[in-house]
Amino acid sequence: MSVIKVENTAKDFYDGKQIRRVLFPVSIEFTPGELVVISGPSGSGKTTLLSIIGLVLKPSEGKIYFDNIDVTNISDDTAANFRLKYYGFVFQQPMLIEGLTVLDNVLLSFGAQGGRPSEKVKKTAIEILDKLGLSNTINMQPLSLSGGMKQRVSIARAFVKDPIILLCDEPTASLDAENGIIVMKILKKSAIDNKRIVIVVSHDVRVLPFADRLIKIENGMIVSDTRENYK
Amino acid sequence: MRILIALKMAIHDRSTTTGALIGVIVIVFLVGQQLSVFFGLLNLTSVLPDHSNAEVWVMSKNIRNADSGNLVSGSYIDRIIGIKGVEWVEPVLIGSGVFKRDDGSFEPVRLIGLRRPSLHGGPWNFYQRGEQVLLDLESVVIDRLDLSKLGHPLLDEVREIGGKRVKVAGIAEGARGFQGTLVFATLEKVKEISKTPAGRYSAILVKLSNEADKNKIIGNMKEILPNCSVFSSQELSNLTRKYYITNTGIGGSFFFSTSIAILTGVVIVTLTMYTSVLSRARDFAVIRAIGGRKRDIMIIVISEVFFITAIGIFIGFMLLSTLFNYTVKSEIPSYFPAYIAPLLAFVTIFVSFLGSLAAIRVALKADPAQVFH
Repeated sequence: MSVIKVENTAKDFYDGKQIRRVLFPVSIEFTPGELVVISGPSGSGKTTLLSIIGLVLKPSEGKIYFDNIDVTNISDDTAANFRLKYYGFVFQQPMLIEGLTVLDNVLLSFGAQGGRPSEKVKKTAIEILDKLGLSNTINMQPLSLSGGMKQRVSIARAFVKDPIILLCDEPTASLDAENGIIVMKILKKSAIDNKRIVIVVSHDVRVLPFADRLIKIENGMIVSDTRENYK
Repeated sequence: MRILIALKMAIHDRSTTTGALIGVIVIVFLVGQQLSVFFGLLNLTSVLPDHSNAEVWVMSKNIRNADSGNLVSGSYIDRIIGIKGVEWVEPVLIGSGVFKRDDGSFEPVRLIGLRRPSLHGGPWNFYQRGEQVLLDLESVVIDRLDLSKLGHPLLDEVREIGGKRVKVAGIAEGARGFQGTLVFATLEKVKEISKTPAGRYSAILVKLSNEADKNKIIGNMKEILPNCSVFSSQELSNLTRKYYITNTGIGGSFFFSTSIAILTGVVIVTLTMYTSVLSRARDFAVIRAIGGRKRDIMIIVISEVFFITAIGIFIGFMLLSTLFNYTVKSEIPSYFPAYIAPLLAFVTIFVSFLGSLAAIRVALKADPAQVFH
């Protein structure tokens, strides 16, 4: 069963002089339990596609379905509610908020709409941090963490909500080889163990061995969509 | 949680928080200080009606303030005393003269003549000795803060006003006028110095009994004294204050300096909050991406502004109270009515939010898609 589906989805941007099409109509379905890598050169439209899937960008054409519900033209607030409930995000930069502790950052989504994280959620957050090797950083400020640690905190922030979909934009780009592999192993395990849809946008070849499915984009068009062993 | 996030962000971003705090403190302190001087000066303008202990003032027709006016006939005293509900009626003679200082120079003074032995309308608070010193024909009472202006006369020292001998017999506290240095003396002495005709006075003060209907009696007095102005003390005080606000530089100067203080504070708050939000646009985009709505971002920014404003108001009032403690007995006219404090706090909160509008606008523009670039 597919949870998220994009159907003939395209995106145009206006650059001040003319309308430019950055994503030509694409149709893709994503199913839980697999790690999908969307790969392609810079400017190929992969981040635009990820933004549309993540409901942070509206398509110029086509439809997006979430669990067979048309979410193409939902309001900003409804999109925010969807993201809060069902999505987890790992960005190219960890994007942790300075001034908040590691634990505060992990629990950020629970407070984003004014709620308070329960003790159970806090316990879960601490367990996730522990699993990611960050148990002794709970009360530390992001500034005192290494790049790899920060990225793992951002993964914990995405995992703590137990999202159905995990969207990762170049999660290894700012990491060294060792940390990059650690992060990809965590994401892969999350897709399998938690039956999540994990979509990784990257042009880093190090991520390919972890892909269950590889979608290649060039010039705003999908040039291949394959399921094979990339090791 | 949003408030906690705002609080932690504000604490972390120390330079911005300090900058915005300074803006808020500037508003509270400068406006508060201006207000205190303004009200201090206003108190000086209406010092006589405010402290006369009389409920009604009878003065000449068509007066514009308590300091102007012609002399009125003393025969009105007999007419007023006959009105039911009147407890006492006392004349006051206001004149002018020049006080001879110890170095031979002169200082113009405003003389307030009081009828013995009641001495109503006289000094209400004494620094040294008491009002009974004015029972002596030669005695005068001057204010503590005017001593230096008058050449530091000692108690019981004999000086001259308008070439007439007077004895500085008492020192008052807080009996200062707006139009000049006040010197309290007996009616006879003021009449002698000012050379006013016999049986004529500047004002007639009327005290009513507790059960008297003030408005009714004032109405009666207006009927039987058609050639006079009859005011309650409060009306005369208000009239005098209004006169000086509109006819001197007090009002304009206060309005200008207060506006500059508010503007300075608003500019500081605007710039610091704007810069702060601009530098944290990415954080707001992250919050939006992970499920925060625009209103959540607004709550975070507003909470931060409120937090900074509350602390700024607290520090501002602490500084103000320190200033007032130092100036309360100084020559700087300073008075801060209690009802002004919440008003000033409210205005400060309002202008702080006004100064934060640009920042809020920037924060609301935080695009969740931005986190993917």
